[in-house]
Amino acid sequence: MIVQFLIQCTVSFVATLAFSILFHAPKRQYVACGATGMAGWGVYWLSVQLGASVVLGSFFGALALALLTRILSVVCRCPSVVYITAGIFPLVPGAGIYYTVYYFIMGDNDACLAKGVETLKIAVVIALGILAVLSLPRGLFRRLEHRPG
Amino acid sequence: MTAGGMGASPAGDARPAAVLRLALCAGQTLLENGGEIFRVQDTMERIARAYGEEHFHAYVLTNGLFVSVDGGGQLGTTLRFLPQASTHMGRIMAVNELSREIAAGAVPLEEAFRRLDAIRAMPQKPALVRLLACAVGTAAFAYLFGGTPVDAGAAFCAGLALEPARIALERSEVGKFVANLLCAGLVALVSLLCAQALTALGVACSLDAIIIGGIIPLVPGIALTTGIRDAAGGDYLSGMIRAVDAVLVGAAIACGVGFVLTVSSWIPGVMV
Repeated sequence: MIVQFLIQCTVSFVATLAFSILFHAPKRQYVACGATGMAGWGVYWLSVQLGASVVLGSFFGALALALLTRILSVVCRCPSVVYITAGIFPLVPGAGIYYTVYYFIMGDNDACLAKGVETLKIAVVIALGILAVLSLPRGLFRRLEHRPG
Repeated sequence: MTAGGMGASPAGDARPAAVLRLALCAGQTLLENGGEIFRVQDTMERIARAYGEEHFHAYVLTNGLFVSVDGGGQLGTTLRFLPQASTHMGRIMAVNELSREIAAGAVPLEEAFRRLDAIRAMPQKPALVRLLACAVGTAAFAYLFGGTPVDAGAAFCAGLALEPARIALERSEVGKFVANLLCAGLVALVSLLCAQALTALGVACSLDAIIIGGIIPLVPGIALTTGIRDAAGGDYLSGMIRAVDAVLVGAAIACGVGFVLTVSSWIPGVMV
């Protein structure tokens, strides 16, 4: 399981880093962007392995992602959109959208509805997780600030 | 978006008008490249204050900017309509840095205009790099979402096909819905061809994982996250615009993939 976890982390790091290039992030931020995506996916994967539902796992993933984003944006003095934009992609329910359509076409209405509702739940839960962390007061992160001199 | 032009020739303006123009230009650059509403508003106000314009007001929407300044005995108002945005994080960071320096009082007005024009002209990554990044990204996501390394390889091909189509459609006049629909259809088509070829060669693969990896670059992740932040900051209208955007794009992807899968399921010998 540890090996599996490390593989998942590495692949999600690469995936997010590749996407930060698509969004024209500056070269110096590539690694940080990759790390945020990795944090989100790593926590999600672990939670699901430990028995959490996909929805709950997505929530924890979003919390981790947003937390690292806040920390990085203070440390690097950089707007948080830079990290969160690429970092969100491993959590976004692309698979949910796909399966909803797939069952729709196949005429399996029950499965379609179930997947559709789950997809919506994931989207809402990611939103809530990010929101919760982003509305934490600035002061909590002030200690990390890099002070010149 | 075209660079330069907007920030040009501040020399003829009175100072409040020049500051208004500068703040507007900075705000527009942020908004066009994917900045959140509160950041756009905050940046514009900070810039105006740094140049001594206390009576500066801004109202920002996802697709529009309204600013006014009251100074030197004159009231000036202007607005911009910004229908479509692409994402360029480098420009957002650069404007952020410039506004911080301006707020510290270290940048003369003319120099600020020059630097802003330079930021707006910042190049995008070369097409080849984007192509490779897209393919690597889709391959990695196909693996994450339950695919095997073989599936990841097929998704790599889908990513290679997707990015040129995305770049071409971005330049054309095609609307967002149709563009996403076509891109998703293309991904599904290439994935299907790869899956068929692999199956013919006797290699097991999962069409699901390949397609899911392939459509991830299209998925409205940015609209989702930025929309949340806008709504949370009290910019409900902008949040709604993003939410509608996310739903529409999601529906477009669904239609594109759905169309290709439906049609191909009619062809004898093709397993969907």
